[in-house]
Amino acid sequence: MLRIYRRMWQVNWFEQWQYRANLLMYLLYWLVSPIVYLAVWTTVANSQGSVGGLTANDFITYYLTLLIVDNLTSDITIHLLAYKIRDGTLSGELLKPVHPILTNTLMNNLAFKALTLLVLIPVWLGLCLLFRPDFSAVTIPALLLAIPAVVLGFGISFLFGAIITCVAFWTTRVYSLNEFYYALVVLFAGQFVPLDLMPPLIQRIAQYLPFQLLKYFPIQLILGRLPPDAIVRNFALAGLWFVAAVGLFLLVWRSGVKRFSAVGA
Amino acid sequence: MNNIRLLGTLIKINIQQELAYRADTLINILLSLMWLGWELLSLSIIFSNTATLGGWGPGELIALLGVWRLVNTLMAALIWPNTEKFNTSVRDGSLDYTLLQPASSLFLISFARIVIWRVWDIALAVVLIVVGIGMHGGATTAANLVAFLLLVASGGLIIYSLWIVLMACTFWFVKFDNNVTILQALMDSGRYPATVYPPWLRLIVTFVVPIAVATTVPMQALRGDLRWWQVLLFLGVGLASLLVARLVWRAGVRQYSGASA
Repeated sequence: MLRIYRRMWQVNWFEQWQYRANLLMYLLYWLVSPIVYLAVWTTVANSQGSVGGLTANDFITYYLTLLIVDNLTSDITIHLLAYKIRDGTLSGELLKPVHPILTNTLMNNLAFKALTLLVLIPVWLGLCLLFRPDFSAVTIPALLLAIPAVVLGFGISFLFGAIITCVAFWTTRVYSLNEFYYALVVLFAGQFVPLDLMPPLIQRIAQYLPFQLLKYFPIQLILGRLPPDAIVRNFALAGLWFVAAVGLFLLVWRSGVKRFSAVGA
Repeated sequence: MNNIRLLGTLIKINIQQELAYRADTLINILLSLMWLGWELLSLSIIFSNTATLGGWGPGELIALLGVWRLVNTLMAALIWPNTEKFNTSVRDGSLDYTLLQPASSLFLISFARIVIWRVWDIALAVVLIVVGIGMHGGATTAANLVAFLLLVASGGLIIYSLWIVLMACTFWFVKFDNNVTILQALMDSGRYPATVYPPWLRLIVTFVVPIAVATTVPMQALRGDLRWWQVLLFLGVGLASLLVARLVWRAGVRQYSGASA
């Protein structure tokens, strides 16, 4: 099994490497909105000292950490697979004795991540020179704890991406569904602003949803802004959502593939 | 005159195409409303924490959002769909047929595809601008309003011209599929006044990809932040950029040798 994954990694790494010029463009997408929000909130914080107890440095460190965490937990499955389901080229992958999503697509996601990270890190260091963040609140244990949080976050986001992609077995409108899903992420993940500044109702709902596990939770964990009981609760929540996502994915995948072959596409 | 009739025909064809996918159109309108809801919510979050953002009040940011949505409509209704068609036609050689038509190739390339339902987005944007200016209060003078309207038009022209130049670049560098991604990537920056950005980002969104020239600058004219010569300068840049784009396009077409040839 490990050999399969290693081989899949090599293939996908080289495939992504071909498109390295495009990466610079994707990176721009990634960078612009966090930097815009950073600029907006530091302007507000600087004009009145702090916003809801957050200083300008709190915002700078938040969005700079967001850039890295977002890259680590995001997934691109829908762009890799939805068109293959629609035009039927998935058939070829279904014939292979390995799961197309859990091996090939997973490895392609990871290769994309590794490659973007290679470009992101120097850019990120440049941004640190420009914004001069004070990361002194970050501790080694917090960073170590963030590793499982990020892995779980990526697992959940990857499985949700795969579930949405599988909707393509039933309908062609999977990109609209994906846009709706993305809107939920924007609203509940703490991407626009740290969740503490959102209206109380949204904060209460966000607490139970999986989206904050992709961004807000790992970021706050790294920055040492969470009390121990919140950390424990979020890890438990992440475990529950991960298990639920695995179950839902297997269900959707099995019935989807059955339907796919029934159509004979 | 001929071009106006041609535009009418192209619009008719695009309406017919869209009518074939009515459910998709409805879903797209709902999604666009959803994003509007989110944009207004994010403004209300900002202004529940502060009275002004870099000196700009809520009314001004709502009007700015309206202007941004106009530019976004230009992108979504014309620029993305036509770029996609153009890139495909360069790759498979069908661009030759467009160039052989007895009409301006630049015109055909710009308006072959029009996403009609986006008219709805224009209406929403106008409502936002009117409401925003209303909230901003009576401080708006007639001269500022005229300057605002002219600068919105000229900002749109500048974005359009940059688009044409980026597409024309494909004639020289055949493999240039990402030609307009840079426009798209920086779009988000237009929702907020560029004056709050750090200087390097302000330089990029003013001179490299002039999103701010089409969004922040007209709003600055409305607020009365611009001198009359600055307004004239931006209008001049708008007209000049259109001329440059036409020249670059013609040079590109002369340079193009066809994919099949």
